[in-house]
Amino acid sequence: MLLYLAKRLGFAVVTLLSVLTLIFLMVRILPGDPVLMILGDQASPESVIAMRQRLGLDQAIGTQYLHFLTNALKGDLGNSMVTGRPVSQEVLSVLPYTLELTFASLFIGLLLGVPTGVWAAVKRNKVPDYVLRFVSLLGLSLPGFVSAIVLLIVFAINLRWFPVISAGGGEGFINRLWQMTLPVISLALIMMAYITRVTRSAMLEVLSQDFIRTARAKGARPWVVIWRHALGNCLIPISTVVGLYLGILIGNSVLTEIVFSRPGLGKLILTALSQRDYTLLQGMVVVYTLIVVIVNLATDLTYGLFDPRVQYK
Amino acid sequence: MKNSVILSTQPDQAPRKARSILVRMNLSMWIGFAIISALVLAAILASQLSHYPPAKQNLFDQLSPPGAAYVLGADQYGRDIWSRLLFGARYSLLIGFLAVLSAMIIGTFIGMIAGFKGGKVDIILMQIMDVILAFPSLILGIALVALMGATMTNIIAAIAFTSVPAFARVARAAVITQRDREYVQACSAMGFSGSRTLFRHILPAILPEVMVLASLWMANAVRTEASLAFVGLGIAPPAPTWGGMVRDGFQVILNSPYLALFPSLAILLLVLAFNLIGDGLRDLIDPRLKDSHS
Repeated sequence: MLLYLAKRLGFAVVTLLSVLTLIFLMVRILPGDPVLMILGDQASPESVIAMRQRLGLDQAIGTQYLHFLTNALKGDLGNSMVTGRPVSQEVLSVLPYTLELTFASLFIGLLLGVPTGVWAAVKRNKVPDYVLRFVSLLGLSLPGFVSAIVLLIVFAINLRWFPVISAGGGEGFINRLWQMTLPVISLALIMMAYITRVTRSAMLEVLSQDFIRTARAKGARPWVVIWRHALGNCLIPISTVVGLYLGILIGNSVLTEIVFSRPGLGKLILTALSQRDYTLLQGMVVVYTLIVVIVNLATDLTYGLFDPRVQYK
Repeated sequence: MKNSVILSTQPDQAPRKARSILVRMNLSMWIGFAIISALVLAAILASQLSHYPPAKQNLFDQLSPPGAAYVLGADQYGRDIWSRLLFGARYSLLIGFLAVLSAMIIGTFIGMIAGFKGGKVDIILMQIMDVILAFPSLILGIALVALMGATMTNIIAAIAFTSVPAFARVARAAVITQRDREYVQACSAMGFSGSRTLFRHILPAILPEVMVLASLWMANAVRTEASLAFVGLGIAPPAPTWGGMVRDGFQVILNSPYLALFPSLAILLLVLAFNLIGDGLRDLIDPRLKDSHS
């Protein structure tokens, strides 16, 4: 177990290092001089040189690379080119909003997606199955901003049940929950679609196996067979999909955050874009990757939790 | 092997499979094809089907609601939504198609080499693919387009870049299942070169699987393009892109919600159509899924 953990961690570190290298190269290979972008075309040669020194761009490329890597590993992603505040601080101040949004969506997606997937599998090739299959296909076709805009138009503008701007602040837990409802639902719909589909296909596979027939033959109630015997064996494919799409969900939360004017990583990356804040942008890509790597690691570890036969070697 | 009289250098069931797909098209594929054909036709005939050029501003008709003059209304610059939707279909279809085509060619090539060569080549190539996969694809797309500039070529390149690993993985897995088959052994017995075996004999056998992925990734590419345009990284205005129209409409959503709604539904329809085709194709091709489907 420890060896496996060390191996997975080693792989995660290699991935992160490669990503850092890729980002470092991307920023330098792609056209556009960051110094001119910060100072504008009209900058005097002296200020350009001074800025180069301040950013460390006058050093050899190898030195720059080492500097960038060691700093990133220490958690120092540089300072924002616009505000001058450390990138890590900027990110940490909005990270909770994005995490609360995605994890709440994931929770609701699981809560609704697993039962509907089981239902579709049990009613295979009957009306509920066809309807659920179409609806889940519709759900996974939704771009994040489309589900958000439709919900916004229906529930916030026409029905006026929810606030148009979910600023994220607000006083009191209830108020905060109320503001979060629409953004969470808009992402949960997409997550639910993926979970319904994987639950259905995993259930279909499990239900055709011998041990299910044995369980039925020995007289276990249908309810117990489906929810205990069968579903227990679907947890691995479900957690794989959750792991895979949680990263995508965090990436897509950028769209939800724009539509509902919520603070979060997505809002921050767009600010970085519009202000051409390249250190912030670069730091945020690192943070997103870090999240994906952590999620993947966690997914691997849950396999052992759900299936004692999984040996960590 | 002992029993076979003649070793064939052709994979046995590939041509039959390809033929039978056309015959056994299922309902979801028919619906998907119907929607796509209609949208392609609309994109081609855009100038015949609309009364106004897509960028024409009629300042007296700003925000006019759907009606006789403007079927789907006009936006805050007085531009006809209907004709912008029609012309926008061109961008969505073209960008999606070119992005997936390039990703398919590059990714399949990488995956086939990795699967066929094995060993170090395999490890290095797939490690690079895994690194690209470690980025959330939308964020990677946003970063790439932001750094390179939002032109059509760059948008296509960025979307293709994020989709390459998926094709590489599928092609690699498919090649590995073919590598030890009889016809491949026959190829090497005949003294065919590695590249001839790989591209003339193995490629046709794995193409169905790659095509399923291509239609599923068309859906993804269209969605990514729309998302990029929605965050302001689409082709520069006044070009009518659906994502850009949603972005424009979103600014006046309190008064004229339909401005954001119509292009949103258009995007959803196109993505859904590609998913329907991909889903139907997968049912036909993947025997394991087909079995659980009947």
